[in-house]
Amino acid sequence: MSLTVGRLFPLQAWSGAENMAVDQSLAESVDSTRRPVLRFYLWEQPTLSLGYFQRLADRAKHVDSLPLDFVRRATGGGAIVHHRELTYSVAIPDTPESAGARMDLYRISHQCWVDVLALYCVHAAPFRTCPPAVVRKPDESESFLCFQRRTDEDLIVSGYKVLGSAQRRARAAVLQHGSLLLKASRWAPQLPGIEDLTSRSLAVEDLVANFTLRLGAALQVQWREDGLTEVESVRSSVLVSERFGDRRWSARR
Amino acid sequence: MSRSETNLLFAPSHEWADISEVGGEKYATIGISAFAIEQLNDLVYMDLPEVGRVVNAGDEFGEVESVKAVSPLYSPVSGEVIEVHSELPDQLEKLNEDPYNFGWIVKIKLRDDKGLGSLLDHAAYQRQCAESA
Repeated sequence: MSLTVGRLFPLQAWSGAENMAVDQSLAESVDSTRRPVLRFYLWEQPTLSLGYFQRLADRAKHVDSLPLDFVRRATGGGAIVHHRELTYSVAIPDTPESAGARMDLYRISHQCWVDVLALYCVHAAPFRTCPPAVVRKPDESESFLCFQRRTDEDLIVSGYKVLGSAQRRARAAVLQHGSLLLKASRWAPQLPGIEDLTSRSLAVEDLVANFTLRLGAALQVQWREDGLTEVESVRSSVLVSERFGDRRWSARR
Repeated sequence: MSRSETNLLFAPSHEWADISEVGGEKYATIGISAFAIEQLNDLVYMDLPEVGRVVNAGDEFGEVESVKAVSPLYSPVSGEVIEVHSELPDQLEKLNEDPYNFGWIVKIKLRDDKGLGSLLDHAAYQRQCAESA
């Protein structure tokens, strides 16, 4: 079976606006190159990312994270405190005739995380498979945060959500953001991470390596390390100045 | 008068266009198809363009968020947005019930007929949906 060559962007720490701009720039590239992209990243400083349609005023619902700088994501869903978590993005080619979420990408990528966490003897399961009695259901008033919401493919450990993802369609590509909650943050102390729930220690570099391997096998993609092209760098800079780093754009709702 | 989907034109990206002519000018009423609404699954937010915005066929004119995905809406025609359905974002549940009447999103005054020929009639659009289902 022939493998598609995909572009792998190793772990790197950038600002919130840069992270979002690079992801969008890469998704636009997938539209034309048809080459999948996998990117892992950290954040230069703890940052709150708002879902694309969330209201900035709703930050008042979560006092703990108010001191943090924020960025608006291109993807939807709830807000995420990027502090003690691992963020990844994957972008794959699709057809312009597709509509809505690519549920298969959610299932495939989340199963890869289930398999990776099993290496650490951490049992994670999709929310849809969890008996209601074992899942801590948050109050609606708490659902400003992504990790206090529940959708079918979210991964649950010991009753708590530890992995959430959201997608955005480009013309003929799909971008998926994902966040793996490693440990509770002082900016979101009500959200326990995997290390808090299991007393297991997780090395980010190992998580990245194991997930890369499994996602490549699942998608039939051979990942090759890559960097931004000049076109992508320029496009990212434009997206930082005109969109993700622009306070007026970020505060428009 | 109720709009019949069989009389509409469709973009491959699932937007429909109802073309009318008044006083020698052509207008398009735009929405998204029942098939797309079903695929999108539980729309929760919609962004509309501003009146006066000029779009080319294939340009984004709005966005929707459904459960687990944000999707752009693409204009099937070229022209100027002259009206938006401002009540729609607060009543997205009605899109499921009536995508071709209550579910209209924008009205565009066409700049020209270019591009209309590349839109699909109802039968061709149904074939596309059957192939991608």
